[in-house]
Amino acid sequence: MRPKCPGVASRLALFSAALLVCGPAVLRAQAEPSAAAPPARSGQAVREFLGLGPPPDPEAAKRGAPIYATNCAFCHGPLARGAEGPSLVYSELVLEDEHGSRVGEFLKAGRPERGMPAFATLSDEQRKDVAEFLHQQIEDIANRGTYQARDILLGDPRKGASYVSEHCLGCHSLTGDLQGLAQKWRPVDLQRYWIMPPRKTSDRAITATVRSPQASWQGRVLEIDDFRIVLVEDSGRPVAIARDAGVAVELHDPLAPHVALIGALSDSDMINVTAYLETLK
Amino acid sequence: MRWWIVCLGALLPAAGHANELDMTIVGKPPTTAWPTFNGDYTGQRFSSLQQINDSNVASLQLQWSYRIADVGAQRGAPVPVIKATPLLVNGTLYFTIPNNVYAVDARTGAKLWSYSWVDQGGHLVGNRGLGMYKSWLYFLGPDDWVICVDSNTGKERWRKQIADARLQYFTTTAPLVIKDHVLVGVGGDAMDIRGFLVSLNPDSGDIQWKWWATPGAGEPGIETWPSVNAAMHGGGGTWQPGTYDPELNLIYWGTGNTNPVFAGQGRKGANLYTTSIVALDLDSGKLAWHFQVSPHDTHDWDNTEMPVLINADIEGRPRKLLAQAARNGWFVVLDRTNGKALVSTPYVKLNWAKGVDKRGQPIPDPAKEPSVSGSMTITSATNWMSPSYSPATGLFYVNAAEGVAIYYLLDTDARPSGYGGTLSSLGTSTRFLKALDIRTGKARWQHEYPNLNGAPSTLGPGLLSTAGNLVFTGDDQGNLIAYSADQGKILWHFRASAAQSNGPITYMQDGRQWVVLAAGDTLYAYTLAPAALNRANQ
Repeated sequence: MRPKCPGVASRLALFSAALLVCGPAVLRAQAEPSAAAPPARSGQAVREFLGLGPPPDPEAAKRGAPIYATNCAFCHGPLARGAEGPSLVYSELVLEDEHGSRVGEFLKAGRPERGMPAFATLSDEQRKDVAEFLHQQIEDIANRGTYQARDILLGDPRKGASYVSEHCLGCHSLTGDLQGLAQKWRPVDLQRYWIMPPRKTSDRAITATVRSPQASWQGRVLEIDDFRIVLVEDSGRPVAIARDAGVAVELHDPLAPHVALIGALSDSDMINVTAYLETLK
Repeated sequence: MRWWIVCLGALLPAAGHANELDMTIVGKPPTTAWPTFNGDYTGQRFSSLQQINDSNVASLQLQWSYRIADVGAQRGAPVPVIKATPLLVNGTLYFTIPNNVYAVDARTGAKLWSYSWVDQGGHLVGNRGLGMYKSWLYFLGPDDWVICVDSNTGKERWRKQIADARLQYFTTTAPLVIKDHVLVGVGGDAMDIRGFLVSLNPDSGDIQWKWWATPGAGEPGIETWPSVNAAMHGGGGTWQPGTYDPELNLIYWGTGNTNPVFAGQGRKGANLYTTSIVALDLDSGKLAWHFQVSPHDTHDWDNTEMPVLINADIEGRPRKLLAQAARNGWFVVLDRTNGKALVSTPYVKLNWAKGVDKRGQPIPDPAKEPSVSGSMTITSATNWMSPSYSPATGLFYVNAAEGVAIYYLLDTDARPSGYGGTLSSLGTSTRFLKALDIRTGKARWQHEYPNLNGAPSTLGPGLLSTAGNLVFTGDDQGNLIAYSADQGKILWHFRASAAQSNGPITYMQDGRQWVVLAAGDTLYAYTLAPAALNRANQ
């Protein structure tokens, strides 16, 4: 039995580098996902960063699932989050357990005075498998590096189509650059990238014209702060220019219409357009 | 000649001589020491020093730098980042990174000693520094251990565990010492902690009181939770130090985000006292008042930003105020005797609020909660980075960020747990240094940083303001910067090896005003260049 959450509908790769620098589960817009890579490596990195303890044994957890469902779910809920009986994912005994070290003995004896029967008929291995099933539930909750987005396609494609024809077709074409977008990106990436595409290719890069009383430069911006700007000119040569008095910087952003969408677009237009673009296979 | 040497030896704390913090200076405006996280108890991070000022800051000169070279990658952290505000006591600087404490000679940058802790878990997101009481330093391991260390030798005196790391409590804060209390807070999100603040005896580490950030059965505030069980796992970390008003004997603390973090369906209600400012009695830990800046938080908007204490005239009447620029983008100025709002207004563009309630608390728009198909609202407007307030300008300085993300609800269970959602940022955010008028909350000036990569969400430069009409901070690209406090003109900058990462400090030592700040793994110490120093002293 797969837990309902995190879901299985689509894959949401979290990028370990961004996570390590940024802390919470933030997807940085500059990076693109590596096709359909499972989030396992990122999950391991987040596990270490958070100090989540030893990872659960997924095989044992799988074996433990039906045992749990038969013996435990009635009182503790299908995901061990509590029902008539208490939540087991918050249980100190479970959280401090390692591979059945505490849960195993506990199940053998139960806690009859509080209505928790003994499960002495289960084998030691089965009790350990139940413990691993519980650890898997905790892993699914606590390790945000393994999170996977559920099916996000709840918008109305017809409304999305009319938004696209009204707002997008001045620059884009349904039979050209928009075609097959849904094959390139999973829905969760499609949704963020149609609003604000990654600046992967040079035609999407910010460029600048820099003028000083003596000279002028033009090129793709590599870096800009209050004190200098670094450009790559057409020759491929990077040049660093100090932003001294008299130096004027003019930035050009080919994605300016997309930048303007951020903060202006409504949630309903967002999900409708995503649902529509998903149909352009 | 000998008598002269002996005399000098008696005046200066020589090697081996006990370095003891004179507790009577703690809480006074910091000039020759920086003995607490904020320098004093106000949280203003304002210095009355003006040897370095807007006319001479351009000649600031690096005197030494200290790079942490003995710690490589820590789990999850590729390079050490100093997020700690150093303490400066009797010529020694004390600062930290996760699992490590350093004592460095403030005149030379030479290491005096270091202390290492081997953790058994806990989140290594950062360590924000130390508390000091007489000769003792207080340091937190990430796994909820409070460790008392001798400031002269770095030798451990005692250790106490205040929470269980396997329940996903972790500790990153700088302990705050007030009188005979060591105040220590906790963090945690992954398994839905119940936040608390604890007061320890400085000699023994014994618990004096413990304040829970969510109410228990039958306690006031429990009506803002659907069940006692939800409140028992409702979050409200206390992972930044607070401030203190000795006349009222109240401490002021910001509480962290609500748990489960992004999934609010299992905890309908305002969820007190998470994402709030609380006033507690120093000696008992009893709640005096609260103000919830982010009711029913579903966006990870920890309200742990510094509650800064300000005495100022409002409409001709002297007032005891408290100001905070919160992570949710809201700026509040409260009467700190009772928590009543004088100013309550956004300081960044935002779309999640429907106005304010009769107490002045913002009303969140349910349509902006994370959803399965995605809901767009702002990313964190600021975070733990220290703000500053200058009584000379009447301005509250905050390093803000303006950005937008799609927030997703992932855990749709009726009993969600953990983060329960995630966010996906759109493009890059923009960093602004904003100088807010405390009477209106409006920016008198702001500086927008040019940057292709935007502002990181949990790292950022802290602030310091001085009577020399200066604000010290940095950008996100390795520049340490001094601005004029009144107008926001850039007057000095220094290219460091990483982005400025802590709260800058300043103090007088040997007749010179020093400014010390950190960027990544390195601490930098500046004074005026000799010619400018001579002119300043004339």
